[in-house]
Amino acid sequence: MTQVEKETTLYLGPQHPGITGNMMIELKVTGDTVQRAKTHVGYLHRGFEKLMEERLWMQCFPIVCRICVPEPDPNEENLARAIEEIEGREVPERAQYIRVMVLELSRIASYFLWMGGQAGSMGLYTMPQWTVGDRDYILDLFEELTGGRVYHMYIWAGGVRRDLPDGFAGRVRRVLDYLEERLTDYDRLFFQNALFLKRSQGVGVIDKDKAMEWGVVGPPLRGCGIAHDVRKDEPYEVYDKLDFEIITHEGGDIYARAMVRRREIEQSISIIRQVLDKMPGGPVHNPGPNPLKWKLPAGEAYVRTESARGEFGYYVVSDGSLKPRRIHVRGPAYVHGVSLLEKMLVGANIADVSVIMNSLGTCPPEIER
Amino acid sequence: MDATVAFFYDLIPALSNLPDWLSYTIIGAVLTVGAFLFIAVFALIGIWLERKISGHMQDRLGPMEVGGWHGWAQTIADTVKLLVKEDIIPEKADKFLFKFAPFIMFTASMAAFAALPWSARFIPANLNVGLLYILSVSSLVVIGILMGGWASNNKWSLYGAMRSAAQMISYEIPVALSLIVALLLTGSMDMQEIVRGQAGGIFNWNIFGYFPLLFIAFIIYFIASLAEVNRTPFDLPEAESELVAGFMTEYSGMRWAFFMLAEYANMFVVSAISTTVFLGGWQPIAPFLDFIPGPFWFLGKALFLVLIQMWLRWTLPRLRVDQLMYTTWKVLTPFSFALILLVSFIKVL
Repeated sequence: MTQVEKETTLYLGPQHPGITGNMMIELKVTGDTVQRAKTHVGYLHRGFEKLMEERLWMQCFPIVCRICVPEPDPNEENLARAIEEIEGREVPERAQYIRVMVLELSRIASYFLWMGGQAGSMGLYTMPQWTVGDRDYILDLFEELTGGRVYHMYIWAGGVRRDLPDGFAGRVRRVLDYLEERLTDYDRLFFQNALFLKRSQGVGVIDKDKAMEWGVVGPPLRGCGIAHDVRKDEPYEVYDKLDFEIITHEGGDIYARAMVRRREIEQSISIIRQVLDKMPGGPVHNPGPNPLKWKLPAGEAYVRTESARGEFGYYVVSDGSLKPRRIHVRGPAYVHGVSLLEKMLVGANIADVSVIMNSLGTCPPEIER
Repeated sequence: MDATVAFFYDLIPALSNLPDWLSYTIIGAVLTVGAFLFIAVFALIGIWLERKISGHMQDRLGPMEVGGWHGWAQTIADTVKLLVKEDIIPEKADKFLFKFAPFIMFTASMAAFAALPWSARFIPANLNVGLLYILSVSSLVVIGILMGGWASNNKWSLYGAMRSAAQMISYEIPVALSLIVALLLTGSMDMQEIVRGQAGGIFNWNIFGYFPLLFIAFIIYFIASLAEVNRTPFDLPEAESELVAGFMTEYSGMRWAFFMLAEYANMFVVSAISTTVFLGGWQPIAPFLDFIPGPFWFLGKALFLVLIQMWLRWTLPRLRVDQLMYTTWKVLTPFSFALILLVSFIKVL
């Protein structure tokens, strides 16, 4: 007997608890299997790139950090480095160390959010509560350092906005010790959970040969066993003076991506400890002209940063005026959350859609900017 | 029924002076109201407890404000809120079935309470096929779910309902088979007979019969019953990240509350069944603890199992549909068949 399967259209989002933000996936399903998937974005477009063309250089910093909510610092870092490259401005060494510390702290904070999202997409709601709660300790550090919990506007052209407060390094160490201890709890609850292994191993596989061609970056790429990390390939700030390895995992499935991120949390903790040990004294800012009359020389720069979701690129063009001519953002979420997701969802079970989406680190605010 | 009537005549001698039809009606009405109150109170306490337990597991406090001490009145306040909420029925829904579904589900789970043995003398309806009765009425729940999901005219609801139907029907088989293993030992379907057969302390309970065979049967029953009442890791019909809220997506206000009420009542019913069949029902842990009344033991054991269900909910992710079906058809069902064969062999020898 042949069975004729009827194709149904399901709209996953924009209001759906399983989606990572304001976007929608149109699923054509037969039974529980996705036949085709089409992503619809446009619920969160704020026109930042165009907006910045009408803003002074200094006014761009509060805009870029809003491009990705869970992880604003790589954006500030990118814009600051691009401006410094065009201007040829030196950054004091202490500022570079502080930048690395902030970037790694924000990486950990971002991974903590991801852990919660990944577990929540599988129906384990204890993890999000734990990780979001523990992430707050990092936000407390940010609040003390920068005045802002989520958006910091701390890294800017020529260095960082202000020096570390008294005793800050000790408090960072204390938080790191606590988080490291908590990771064993996370392992026992989630990463070693038999049901997590069942849901993640062999699911959502990215083909290793196709990964580069599809423009996969960050943990999904390292989860395919390809050692690619901007921090190593093209070291910026003081990453070349720090001791760390590129973490890879074979398999390319959800489990491999999860393990890459899990181990990178430990790695980031070790990087921050090295930074605190090696941090020299000195100024933290190389001041430029009055921001209201701040003109950049004509030129262009492309800079890359390794964010928690992958390689983040900024292409900045200056025509020598008070305002940028063009700032183009190349975020990992666009590649992962639109083109890659559409490919990976074909043949997936409905239950795996949100799990796959989370494992790719899809971030709708970054897709649309 | 006779035992119950006798129990009530003992309690209030004046009842026996009334004509039979009147006294039976009074007793029946009292029992129904009692069962309903019990379910309502149990659900209130159960939901509050679940919030507190999940709160403490997740490094937070849970409800703390309403009522003063640890927010004990939170669920009462929520119930009042649900009662006065706007009654929303989707325009394209099948209105009659949409309204009817919560009642079917609630009635089915309430009917199961009729045959639960609370103590040596108190059982609302002492049927000689009590176990069979409970198993059959609790299967009716699936009709309510299917009806609610289908009538909502929402694809997510329909998906949830269909999943639920497939899941509950599949898991009824290991539930029944693992209970048969215990029945082989007891030789009766009468709930009171089953409990009486386990007198004499913890090691005479069925769970330790032919150790470890019945222990395995208990585990199988427990896993399968989790699936029957849609608890994690088998909460696929309401899987939030996939199906919004499954068959309950379009429900709100009091109808939704009835679904929740039925869910908590079901949690208690399956725990009460395993208490009766495997954990000695109202029998005390050791004979010298006889002076503590039966309902205490019965309720205590059942609540313990309910607590385990809540504990599992906050520590396990959920399975995928295919893995769910794999678990029942390729793991639980063959194992319970093997157990039946083994136990029968041992019994015959």
